[in-house]
Amino acid sequence: MRATSFGPTALLLMACLLWGCSGVSLDLPSSVQPAAQIAAKTGAKAIHASRPISDSEEYYVGRAVGARILAKYPLYQDQEVTRYVNKVGLTVARKSSRPNPYRGYHFAVLDTPEPNAFACPGGTILITRGLLKNCATEDELAAVLAHEVAHIANKDGIKSISQARWTEVATTLGTETAKQYGGSAGQMVTLFEGSIDDVFKTIVVNGYSRSAEESADREAVSILRKAGYNPGALAAVLTKMSGKEGAGGIYRTHPPTSERLAKVQSLAPASSASSEKEAVRTARFQQLKI
Amino acid sequence: MRRFMKLSRKTLGLLIIVMMLLLSGGPGWARTLTVSQPNQQIYQEANFASTPLGAVPQGAKVNLIRQEGEWYKVDYQGTIGWLHRQAVPEAAPAKMDLSKMLFGGPVKETGSDEVALAGKGFTPEVEAGFRQKNPGLAYAQVDKVETFGVDQAQLQKFVSEGGLNP
Repeated sequence: MRATSFGPTALLLMACLLWGCSGVSLDLPSSVQPAAQIAAKTGAKAIHASRPISDSEEYYVGRAVGARILAKYPLYQDQEVTRYVNKVGLTVARKSSRPNPYRGYHFAVLDTPEPNAFACPGGTILITRGLLKNCATEDELAAVLAHEVAHIANKDGIKSISQARWTEVATTLGTETAKQYGGSAGQMVTLFEGSIDDVFKTIVVNGYSRSAEESADREAVSILRKAGYNPGALAAVLTKMSGKEGAGGIYRTHPPTSERLAKVQSLAPASSASSEKEAVRTARFQQLKI
Repeated sequence: MRRFMKLSRKTLGLLIIVMMLLLSGGPGWARTLTVSQPNQQIYQEANFASTPLGAVPQGAKVNLIRQEGEWYKVDYQGTIGWLHRQAVPEAAPAKMDLSKMLFGGPVKETGSDEVALAGKGFTPEVEAGFRQKNPGLAYAQVDKVETFGVDQAQLQKFVSEGGLNP
């Protein structure tokens, strides 16, 4: 008798639970609603707190960071150089662990003698004329771009958004205000602004963590190998940069410490042109008007 | 005992209805999406890095099978694969309306479930607000950079001439 009276209710609850797992909203009887609502809210908060930033959100952060950098440095207008850098960049990007970000990779040259490179989250990579001039070969340029692609693939820029800020984004999304305004309320713009500050500080001002740099170096060497470039080209570039850790620009954001260089050397030591094809690549690099 | 048997049959009937509903996949999923963006691909997995199965032209209609986060599993002319939400940015989140069948009442959204939040957060609208507050930023230059690219044929020629791996 007990089983018969309890059966339908248990089945209904079981069905509700199963449908709930599939993301279905049910209009429960009024007696059940308060408890269900509390459970839903608690569950939703847990989801929000751990919600990873989406690819499209990363893209919008990257655009804002790029807009800040490009407000400081003008674009180099030489189309041939820009096209060439995109060819080298895309050649290495397609061999990375993240070959197709949300809106693809785009490479551009900044018209400044200051040697530097910036990986804007989402897929835009900016390299200065100063750093291009620092490279002697196409393989060295490929090494620099592969390192920046690795930062995007590893999401190193986007990871610098503070956990507290991202949690606040999630909380704000759960409020009625954000819902009414589709998430575009002033509070969300302020949080977006703060997130841009976090990322900008990392990729332009302070630099990545040592572990992020080492990981990007490892991936860059792997990318160079997969693409057919000389993997020793990264060590060659770092060797040129070493000893300038105290200087600004890339020497601060990507410090070429002796420890870092030693690790890269152990992965793939710098070597002179190893093939006829490498010489062909170097020749086409040297034809550019940088 | 007779009463017990009667109720058991009722229970069994309800069980069958519930199981049929669960196995059917739900009526709300029989849905068509229209691709509104150009240059979209269907992928083998819900990941841009997976193998593209083919292009889906702007204006094409695809049958929605299910949704996982920002990805839709779709059937486009017999090709089944994953389409990113960027292809259909205006599509409302998929919802199932089972309540009318079970209780006869209207669906009430919790307003705080993850499905309802899809497309929120850092959106084009937030970017617009940010740009309004920061008019000195070089968004026009960013738009220009996003037009930089190389077509596949040019890239293959470049790779081949440089003795690089295809």
